[in-house]
Amino acid sequence: MDAFQGLWTGFQVALSIEGIMFVLIGVVVGTLIGMMPGLGPISAIAIMIPITYGMDPAPALVMMAGVYYGAVFGGSTSSILLNAPGIAGTVATSFDGYPMANNGQAGKALAIAAISSFIGGTISVILLMMLAPALSSIAISFGPPAYFALMLMGLSAISSLSEGSTIKALISAVVGFMVVTIGIDPQTGTQRFTFDSVNLLDGFDFLIIALGLFAIAEVCMLVLNRRNRSLSDSQKLGSLKLSKSDLKEMSGPVTRQSFVGFILGVLPGAGATIASFISYIFEKRISKKPEEFGKGSIKGVAAPESSNNAATNGAFVPLLSLGIPGSGTTAVMLGAFLVLDVQPGPLLMTDRPEIFWGIIASMYIGNVFLLILNLPLIPYLAKILSIPRPMLISLVIMFSLIGVYSISFNVFDLYMLLVFGLIGFLMRIYSFPAPPFILAFILGGMMEQSFRQSMTISNGDLSIFVSSPLPLTLIIISLLSFLVPGILKWRKNRYISKV
Amino acid sequence: MLKTMNQRIGLVLFLLAASYLFLSYQLPSYPYTAIDADVIPKGLGWLLLVLSVCLFFSRAIETDAEKEKRAIPKKEVLVLVTVFAMIFVYILLFELIGFVIMTALFIFVCSWFLGYDKWKTNLIVSILFPVALYGIFVFALGIVLPKGILPI
Repeated sequence: MDAFQGLWTGFQVALSIEGIMFVLIGVVVGTLIGMMPGLGPISAIAIMIPITYGMDPAPALVMMAGVYYGAVFGGSTSSILLNAPGIAGTVATSFDGYPMANNGQAGKALAIAAISSFIGGTISVILLMMLAPALSSIAISFGPPAYFALMLMGLSAISSLSEGSTIKALISAVVGFMVVTIGIDPQTGTQRFTFDSVNLLDGFDFLIIALGLFAIAEVCMLVLNRRNRSLSDSQKLGSLKLSKSDLKEMSGPVTRQSFVGFILGVLPGAGATIASFISYIFEKRISKKPEEFGKGSIKGVAAPESSNNAATNGAFVPLLSLGIPGSGTTAVMLGAFLVLDVQPGPLLMTDRPEIFWGIIASMYIGNVFLLILNLPLIPYLAKILSIPRPMLISLVIMFSLIGVYSISFNVFDLYMLLVFGLIGFLMRIYSFPAPPFILAFILGGMMEQSFRQSMTISNGDLSIFVSSPLPLTLIIISLLSFLVPGILKWRKNRYISKV
Repeated sequence: MLKTMNQRIGLVLFLLAASYLFLSYQLPSYPYTAIDADVIPKGLGWLLLVLSVCLFFSRAIETDAEKEKRAIPKKEVLVLVTVFAMIFVYILLFELIGFVIMTALFIFVCSWFLGYDKWKTNLIVSILFPVALYGIFVFALGIVLPKGILPI
């Protein structure tokens, strides 16, 4: 099936009444949850997963993808209006978006963010459409050693690129991997760390971990920040109109950063947050008037917004074509696939074209919906920011509890949700990043399996990982990635000493 | 001895790694496989052991932002503990008393406890939310939630 035929299949799914309805539900929910300061895309996806039980996989996944890119799209609203980023990927947007809002140009900032997000999203879907099938056809020949090395690279990249201490990020990843070893070993049937408890035989469902480490932990942070200001009724958005010169000014950064964001999104470990920062710094460096940045520059809003949305779609490349997530958020997306019994990877495109192409095609439509939601409708949508925090907290707790209960109907899992919520909260206050944990938890089982398959092929000889070029290269990249934080620190120190 | 926060956390993680390793070495062996079920756990255990030692001896100084993050006033800790206790009570009772009643109670009490004082709105939301959700889950999605003491 060539790309055009594939896309035709995809649009048949995405443009069916069911398809349009679920894209719309996905992007609306994504935008709304993404707007809420403190609740990120991981919580948004995890909260929505229980709703997909029993649904047809294609519309369900089209909806879940919509939740993800909708959350990134919507995250900018609170960055601009409240200076409280809805998600980490829109922190950089607040640097110039919030000053613009303070100057009475909130509407203009929102319009720039929406248009930049739309263009970033659309350019990156085109790139996704070209790259994912190509990568799928290459990846089909990958053996277990290459898969193991790929996942190792994903984990080391996310750990070394995490904010703060690399040791803490690695600890987070190792503990996440340890948690997934609990339960019956699928290869030998050995019970591992189950303490003879029936509840632990199947291990922990990933939804418990995702909702605990993210939704419940984020709720705890919301409890601490519950007195932060929410949107007041008196706040005026100002005109949403952009002049021709505004559009001309943002055209350069938006086009450039859509590509930068996409590439960073495809690479493991980076994702929307890092992409938005890099794009912001990139534009500031090449700008003729760098002093305008931070004071309400149009480019300062356009760059991170096109980049983070492009990165979000870029992250679908490894997820769809390799079946390997490169970030915490795509790890939870993978979980959403697996709940519906769909295994993403090189075979997805040929075996389930309606899902593979349906998701890609739905992104075009989803982006149009998001533009409408975030441009003409934004004054109404922004009202959700005035929901009182205490109410929001109670509701999110309830959604999480129901979500977990509806997978197993087991009260034990609810207590575990509480335990992982506590762990997630402690990780946040002691500065241990949570994304490596969830990625390791999702990849752990697959990594162990591919490791053992490789060892079975080689009769227990470890050299299988270094004897062929692809796994060897990937392992070398994994090791080299740990030099990145050192280099960054060195450059920062040099920069500080220069100043 | 335990001066910095990293040292304290390092020690806790060291103990965790040690007990995990101890359990890994107790795993029964299975003869018909190249790589047994204990290989990966042992590797992970040793890795965490090494990392916890690294953390213990790491000279990284806590930044002010990090310090501020973990400086939570006692009163707020109490608030968090109460919220956790409320969730605990909810889990304990909701199969017995039922989803709708417990959820309504939880939302009302929790929102009120966290400082939401418009009790009329609170009452409306805390009744409508569980009723609507119960309807969606049970009648539209076919996922049965405990009805408890209510007739349907």
